[in-house]
Amino acid sequence: MENIENTRGIKELQVERKENIQAVYDNLVPRRVPINVSLGLDIVAEYAGIDRRESLWDPLLVESAADELCDRIFSDVCVYGGKIHMPSYYQAMGSKNCVMSSTGFMQHPNTVGLLAEEYDDFINNPFDCIIEKVLPRNYKDLNFLEDPARSMFTIAQAMMAKNKNMAKTVGMIRRLTEKYGYPVNEPGTGGGVYAPMDILTDNLRSFSGMSSDIRRVPSKVKEAVEALYPLNYKVGIPPKITNYGNVFFPLHMPTFMREKDFSTLWWPTWFRQVNDYASMGLHSRVFCEHDWMRYLDYIQDLPTDTRIQFEYGDAKKIKEKLGNKFILTCLFPLSVLTTCTKQECIDKTKEFIDIMAPGGKFIFGFDKSSLVLSDINIENLVAVCETVRDYGVYSNPGDKAGLSFHKEDYKHSEVKPFESKYYRTFEEYKRQNPETPEMAKNTVMELEDAIVSFIYSLCQ
Amino acid sequence: MDLQFLTKWVGELDEENVICFLNEFIDDTPSESDAQEVVAACQEGMAEVGELFEKGEYFVGDLIFAGELLTEAIELLKPVLGSDDSTKVGSIVLGTVHGDLHDIGKNIFRSMVEAAGFEVIDIGIDQPVSAFVSKVKEIKPDIVGMSGVLTLALEAMKDTVEGLQEAGLRDSVKIIIGGNPVTKESCAHIGADDFTNNAAEGVKICKEWIK
Repeated sequence: MENIENTRGIKELQVERKENIQAVYDNLVPRRVPINVSLGLDIVAEYAGIDRRESLWDPLLVESAADELCDRIFSDVCVYGGKIHMPSYYQAMGSKNCVMSSTGFMQHPNTVGLLAEEYDDFINNPFDCIIEKVLPRNYKDLNFLEDPARSMFTIAQAMMAKNKNMAKTVGMIRRLTEKYGYPVNEPGTGGGVYAPMDILTDNLRSFSGMSSDIRRVPSKVKEAVEALYPLNYKVGIPPKITNYGNVFFPLHMPTFMREKDFSTLWWPTWFRQVNDYASMGLHSRVFCEHDWMRYLDYIQDLPTDTRIQFEYGDAKKIKEKLGNKFILTCLFPLSVLTTCTKQECIDKTKEFIDIMAPGGKFIFGFDKSSLVLSDINIENLVAVCETVRDYGVYSNPGDKAGLSFHKEDYKHSEVKPFESKYYRTFEEYKRQNPETPEMAKNTVMELEDAIVSFIYSLCQ
Repeated sequence: MDLQFLTKWVGELDEENVICFLNEFIDDTPSESDAQEVVAACQEGMAEVGELFEKGEYFVGDLIFAGELLTEAIELLKPVLGSDDSTKVGSIVLGTVHGDLHDIGKNIFRSMVEAAGFEVIDIGIDQPVSAFVSKVKEIKPDIVGMSGVLTLALEAMKDTVEGLQEAGLRDSVKIIIGGNPVTKESCAHIGADDFTNNAAEGVKICKEWIK
């Protein structure tokens, strides 16, 4: 009897959580401030006392620790957040741009995949150039032109390893979701992509290379980000667009640039992409990494209900300027957990809620992801989350929250079709296989597009 | 030849004029002391870059480009500079601590502090305590610089300071830590002499120590 009651309680909690978060996306004031707090594989492994390197090869090793943390910490998303960068696939490819440190953390060293003199090749066809020039530099076992057989085996291994890891992680999160009543996101409604100039920078020209290109060859940079647009646009679109799904953009370069360069080189193509997506009803979720206070006027022009995650900044100013138009999140300093007493943590949480919650359009989260156990104090983390849950309660749930999003307000730009000699269109496929019915198109192109997305992910 | 222009152009990160100026200078077969004056003018320009960064007119990307510009300038001047290193104001052993593979901040600091006249021995990224200890033993630098981006770097910095202490080297050097996660509190916890999140400020701290 008790178990059935428990199950019913969990199911109710799951429905409540889902309705609560969906209210925010539907531009309504929710019952209480939703909490988006999760912990990644590295920190959960440390909590469990499991060798970090082993957990990277088998994330299931941390399942009981993840379960314990879900039990201790109240959040409206699964407290176990998993991990994307794993050695099983990066090492299979001989990655130089995502490698393990001596202490077992996967990291991105500053690598150059595209040379300054190769801009014209890139502009001519970015995807061809990535396959022929960038990947062989950043992955020693992906040299498609010189060692095609080995490269094919390698990429197949890497894709399988990535899918296996994903299946394990998704399975673990599904079990925890059922047990603790977290809301379930509709599959295929989420995407992730980088701003065009960020992807050109991170592992292609590199942060230091791009810092020089901006001054030496700005017109090439501009042409390159524009040439990249059809690929970037394509990769970001999830299989299914709903009001609750989104495409995630971690934004890297802007705060390290002068406004003059930002406004002419970085912003235009990204703004175009976010607007194109808005015109399709696809919301963007953006992480404004570092301190974006000097760019708030630009952010103000983004489509209504863009979900904006801040790292640093003045919470009051951000709420005042952006709170009526956008769904704001994060900004609460993780460092509070280790530098303040439990009572101070509770007081600071309440102060923060008082600033950010009024009127809705707000989801609680921290400014940074925690990486090691010493980044947090679990007792204080529990106290912060429970304070948000109990203090962040609205008196007017169901009221309209702020400006409403209408996709008709946005105009889609003309986007050139994505083309590459390494990309087979359905028309070409049909020419080779004339008996293929039209209904097979999705199956055929899903496989082709999975390769494009995987290749793109290797430039992250 | 007006060196004030050179300083101004370096400060403005006007690569074209800086390189044009240096090429003309070299064509005149200058003496080594003339070349030293040119280097000093470039260094003044770099100090101006640091000032503009602190004022919020330049950003990290500009510092990286400034480092590149200065390296380019010194490469051009090398044939006329000779090998006299008596003008070095001090020496720094610099590295990213173990567990951390990031080096952009370290490299910015290196080029700026080199521009300020320091000799820098850069031991690279993800460096164990033993690498810092053996390099300090070998070089006997004035300063040790430790860099890191991830929060886990803080413990690695503490390990490194303890390693230097155990090797009896701690009191012979000043230690500066730099990077995103360092704070006044973490500096005290680590046992460093000073900290910075700002390469230009880091240079000032080092210059102050060498006075």
